[in-house]
Amino acid sequence: MYSKIKPILIIFLSLTLLGSCESELELQPEDEREIPANLFNDPEAYKQFLAKLYAGLAISGQEGPAGNPDLIGLDEGFSQYLRLYWMLQELTTDEAVIGWNDGTILDLHGQNWTSGNEFIRTMYSRLLYQVALTNEFLRQASDENLNNRGITGADLERIQTFKAEARFLRALSYYHALDLFGNPPFITEDDPIGAFLPEQTNRAELFSWIESELLEIENQMVPARQNEYGRADQAAVWMLLSKLYLNAEEYTGSAKYADVINYTNKIIDAGYTLVDDYQKLFLADNDTNGAQNEVIFPIAFDGLNTRSYGGMTFIIHAAIGGEMDPAKFGVNSGWAGLRTTPQFVDVFPGGADSEDNREMFFTEGQTKEIADINSFTDGYAVAKFKNVDVNGNQGKDVTGEHPDTDFPMFRLADAYLMYAEAVVRGGGGDMGRAVSLINELRTRAYDSGGNIAASDLNLEFLINERGRELYWEAHRRTDLIRFNRFSNNGIWAWKGNVPQGTTTQSFRDLFPIPASDLGVIPI
Amino acid sequence: MRTLFKSTLLLLFMMPMSFFAQNTLSGMVIEQDTGLPIPGVNVLIKGTNQGTVTDFDGNYALEGVKMNDVIVFSYVGFASQEETYTGQEVINVELAPGALLEEVVLIGYGTTRRQDATGAVQQISTEEFNRGAIVSPEQLIAGKSAGVRITSANGAPGGGAEIRIRGGSSLSANNSPLIVVDGIPLDQRGVQGVRNQLNAINPNEIEDFVVLKDASATAIYGSRASNGVILITTKKGKKDAPLNFEYDLKASVGTVTDYVDVLDANQFRNLIESTPGTDPDLLGNADTDWQKEIYQTSVGAIHNLTVSQGFENFYYRVNYNNTAQTGVLKTDLYERNALNIALNADLLDNTLKLTLTSKGSFDDNKFADEGAIGAAVNFDPTQPVYDPNSQYNGYYEWTDANGVALQQATRNPVALLMQRDPDARTKRNITNFNVDYRIPFVENLRFNMNAGFDYAENEGRNFRPVSSAVVLQDIPNEEEYSGINRNTLLDFYFNYKPYLEAYNTNIDLTAGHSFQEFFIQSERMFTQDNQWRTAPLSRERNALESYFARASFDIDDRFLLSASYRTDGSSRFSEDNRWSHFPAVSAGWKLNNESFMEGSVFSELKLRAGYGITGNYEIGNNYGYIGFYSRSVGGASYQFGDRFYQTFRPEEYDRDLRWEELETYNVGIDYGFFNDRLTGSIDAYHRTTDGLLAVVPVPAGANLSDQLLTNVGETVSRGIEIALNGEVVQSQNFNWNFNYNITFQDLEITRLSLGDNPNFFIPQGGISGGVGNTIQLWKTGIDPTTFFVYRQVYDENNNPIEGAYVDVNGDNEITEADRQPYKKASPDYFMGFTNNLTYKNLDLSFTFRGSFGGYMYNNTQSSIGFVGAGTITPQPYYSNFNANVLETNFQRNQFFSDYYVRSADFVRLDNISLGYLVPGEDVNFRASLTATNVFLITNYEGLDPEIAGGIDNNFYPRPRTFVLGFNLSF
Repeated sequence: MYSKIKPILIIFLSLTLLGSCESELELQPEDEREIPANLFNDPEAYKQFLAKLYAGLAISGQEGPAGNPDLIGLDEGFSQYLRLYWMLQELTTDEAVIGWNDGTILDLHGQNWTSGNEFIRTMYSRLLYQVALTNEFLRQASDENLNNRGITGADLERIQTFKAEARFLRALSYYHALDLFGNPPFITEDDPIGAFLPEQTNRAELFSWIESELLEIENQMVPARQNEYGRADQAAVWMLLSKLYLNAEEYTGSAKYADVINYTNKIIDAGYTLVDDYQKLFLADNDTNGAQNEVIFPIAFDGLNTRSYGGMTFIIHAAIGGEMDPAKFGVNSGWAGLRTTPQFVDVFPGGADSEDNREMFFTEGQTKEIADINSFTDGYAVAKFKNVDVNGNQGKDVTGEHPDTDFPMFRLADAYLMYAEAVVRGGGGDMGRAVSLINELRTRAYDSGGNIAASDLNLEFLINERGRELYWEAHRRTDLIRFNRFSNNGIWAWKGNVPQGTTTQSFRDLFPIPASDLGVIPI
Repeated sequence: MRTLFKSTLLLLFMMPMSFFAQNTLSGMVIEQDTGLPIPGVNVLIKGTNQGTVTDFDGNYALEGVKMNDVIVFSYVGFASQEETYTGQEVINVELAPGALLEEVVLIGYGTTRRQDATGAVQQISTEEFNRGAIVSPEQLIAGKSAGVRITSANGAPGGGAEIRIRGGSSLSANNSPLIVVDGIPLDQRGVQGVRNQLNAINPNEIEDFVVLKDASATAIYGSRASNGVILITTKKGKKDAPLNFEYDLKASVGTVTDYVDVLDANQFRNLIESTPGTDPDLLGNADTDWQKEIYQTSVGAIHNLTVSQGFENFYYRVNYNNTAQTGVLKTDLYERNALNIALNADLLDNTLKLTLTSKGSFDDNKFADEGAIGAAVNFDPTQPVYDPNSQYNGYYEWTDANGVALQQATRNPVALLMQRDPDARTKRNITNFNVDYRIPFVENLRFNMNAGFDYAENEGRNFRPVSSAVVLQDIPNEEEYSGINRNTLLDFYFNYKPYLEAYNTNIDLTAGHSFQEFFIQSERMFTQDNQWRTAPLSRERNALESYFARASFDIDDRFLLSASYRTDGSSRFSEDNRWSHFPAVSAGWKLNNESFMEGSVFSELKLRAGYGITGNYEIGNNYGYIGFYSRSVGGASYQFGDRFYQTFRPEEYDRDLRWEELETYNVGIDYGFFNDRLTGSIDAYHRTTDGLLAVVPVPAGANLSDQLLTNVGETVSRGIEIALNGEVVQSQNFNWNFNYNITFQDLEITRLSLGDNPNFFIPQGGISGGVGNTIQLWKTGIDPTTFFVYRQVYDENNNPIEGAYVDVNGDNEITEADRQPYKKASPDYFMGFTNNLTYKNLDLSFTFRGSFGGYMYNNTQSSIGFVGAGTITPQPYYSNFNANVLETNFQRNQFFSDYYVRSADFVRLDNISLGYLVPGEDVNFRASLTATNVFLITNYEGLDPEIAGGIDNNFYPRPRTFVLGFNLSF
């Protein structure tokens, strides 16, 4: 018996001893997850990574509409870039209030947020996440890496353009950080990935860095209107430069209005055209209905392919409630959140009965005044963005959950208004051109009689005209700050967390660096 | 006592046999040391099943004895003695104290005698288990062990439980103990597709649990030992045992004991009508108690059929189990078909012992939609369950004018349950082959090897027809998923136990190696937007390689010394951090063996002290140190031109990720008084978790996400555990014993970031109400389950004033700065109290459990206990309120008020069981009646004060069950 068992034992013994090979501990993902060394030998992969950088503005994770989120500190839908940016730029102003009770959401309109506010925190994380993504792209696409991976010729050229676009997107997010937070941490592709505490920059330095980046890539970008739809081109760079210069006084203390004239001129002369009907800019087919000729840089959404619970899904659904019929907006339901203040209604001459066709308030069943900020029917609703095409047909998503409507991040009308403002603020330029550009917008807005004269073109007119033309397009907070009526000036319902509204302190012009970022110190 | 009871039964069973026997042998068995008679000693003719036990005076009479028969006298705590029958009429025996098998306690990679254990180790055996229709093994030992808290997740059939030994050690990493079943360490992450991974082990087949609590006991398991270790041993056949059949049936019925207190139809109507701005026309005319509509009386049956037999060299035990249990929530079902096999062969003169254990099971589930629980609490009670005009298969739903369901409205809870067809099956096999070989030529040298696997394959499907209001597409909501969990093990060790006579010292040396690999694969397909979609295949693999050693010394039966060492290498860490070392030492002093203790009341007195370092391997991530890219799926592509591109995303990673390390100090006393009539132990510990793994906000921009799993911080926990066992009455007909244990625990975060901002905290504990709201926090200096609330202000009648909170920082504003840490979910102390009483053939046992000092956030009240909750709705419908709204009259949400944080102290009669044994000649028959979750004493207003995590929301109620049991063995 023993003789039979013995060989088996010996086999077992040797097996166990052999079993101890430590190479078994060197494991890598075996599913679709890829390590960069394998992934980026394929030139196509760079474009898919670039798509992530753009998608970073539109969706919240890798499983659209939800699942495998980019950020985990907040509910995925809330953590989406455009949704947060929109909330911070609009809810803090006279243009929008929200009736929900999610966390500290009411503090945004009340201008009584603290450094623990999760929306501010997540915006901060989202901006720098976008920067970190871009840095990683630039690391992977470094000349050394491309060379080592044997990428040459047309592939190499394409990837060089991608790199310029990546740098544009990084500059865009840093611009948002500059505008919202002032002195965010500063990281580039030269920093490592880890848990270190990046150094904070200051506003002036960040301003010049963004400026120099944009100037550097200006000529590496695809010429204006020549790139694929959805991707940034030279005009997007000019737009961002114009915005940077327009607000330069706020950011750095020294005005740069002449540069605004310079760059808005380039845009205006680049061949873009205003779409005939203002409403078309905000419809499901705004990538094809003519609006695409006015839009310089969109954030593209698609009911089937680019979905999230942020972005346009939020902007459209949250604005619907009360007696509004979701079907008319091409969606399946309203989330009954967003309305506007009575003060903003009055920015339109005649209020909700304005002859200005850009006025799209929904008043049935709504009161103008906001007695209860939680009640959707308090305050007029805004029927601007819709998921229907020019013929009223719902977008591609049959369930009506996710819209096709693209968000017009930069559009020609804004360039007109910036040009006019720079002229009025003494940046030079041509007053005649300014007036005629404004009147192009007014002609579109009014059936007749909307035009203004040069004498009408002043700052008071401009801040209101920017409101009328660009409301709910995520410009308002920046504009109000530039016109000094955001915090210690300017009163609208529920500002300062009181029904009639009150002024707040000027430090509110910047959002606080989140408390959470102060606690984690380098490891 | 137990043995006495068993022996008495055996005696009664044997008695009739004796009438037919010829040769009679009689005698008396006494204790060698004291000369006192020993009742209940087994007296057996070797190699047969023929035997008897001594009576209360130590006398026995054995009939049918043949010449040269060897008579074996055995009793717990004494060395067995053999006498050969050579025709004497009387054989008197003096039994000497000694170690018997029952005294041996399994510890990691070896065994020790209970009285020689130097760590905090507790064995819980069959006789001490909880009774009732127990489906999940861990319920057998709930309330039985100090320092061990077992909280069943909810009332779902076959549901799992949160097991915490000494409260767990980590924040973000796993806090569940390592569970080792017949030598195979299970995957601490569980197995996909089942409600509870331990259900693969049939509770009927468990011989004992050994709980290793402190580091000196667990450190031999190294990187998986920080949360304690539970060793489960299943029943095996017995040597030289006749063929035995056993059939056991437990039939149960269960009912919901309480419902969430919501408004009835009249109250609801009144509230809606009296609230300005509402439209009472939306209300219906029905009077529906939605909770009664979704719950039912559950029924269940557990069948166990066991065959066992033993020969000289080979013995086996085979068990077939069928368990079927419906839930108290309609459509919920759990079913198990399992086959347990244990084969033992003792070869080569008992020097080679081979053991094969195999547990195969089909675990079938119908997972009811537990969302119905919340929907039933929320749904308007004035609406009917059925509506003849409904296009949703006759179920009432909130609809628009066209009869199309409102998207944002609450769904009909009954329809949620009924319009769903969920099916899931997990096939699982846990098999281990153990070789234990006494190596010839070297005395006391043993080789032991385990080769085992735990393989599970699951497959499931969910289906909702298009007639369900949940379905938003033209085809049914369908989902098909499948997966594999595989865990393979190969370990071996050498054990050498020399005896140094010169020093009267027993030495026990062990050294070995282990390799274990875990593989998980999951696939899923589902319908979305009118088409089938495939989720990306997920494959996870990780491996652990270990070397371990232990040396134990027993000097003069007075001093005990033990040291162990383990080094673990894990695929989860980069090469620089891959290997880690886990040492432990412990010592014991058996005072009762000292001469100065002679004649004292102590029958046992041992002091123990231990120190050790353990790790936590379950960091939640297999490739956390590698940066990789994941591909987007579904609607997560981006448009360039006319094409949509799926994207690649780089994932966050921490190249420096390393283990959590837990440093434990433990001191203990094992004591026994009055001849061990009163025994027990006291342990005190102090533990520090360093390199605490937590998902923390990473400095923005430094990594590729906003939060990162990384090593940051430290926790300290302290505790005292007291166990007391008493044999209150010991007599021939009536016996009574009890087991009482109490645990005091305290856990505190002592550092949470490497910076020194004292105000830094991480919000925890998501609640229902709004989005992204949390009610707890992690912060330095407090317990990690601490609530984070505003201090409510009350009026003179002690009613809360809406929106009035204490302005803690005195800035005349209520801001986040006024939110304060307040109370905590984990209890300060908890206890278990079990009594077993037997009178002749009747037995009664019951177990109380109690928990004190813990608090609960009543999220059921806070989320729908205000007027706005049911009236401010995005679409034209209303939803029901928690009846608490009538007390507070809150108009708006007060989610963060400490009003909702309530004491969760409770005492629960967990189970009470009455049994009667009808002994027969060839057949033993036992019947029992058990009630579980019998009653609850608590001031907590919600459904149940015992909810893991401390947030009470839409809790699946634990039913009260009555179990009728039959057991037949022949």
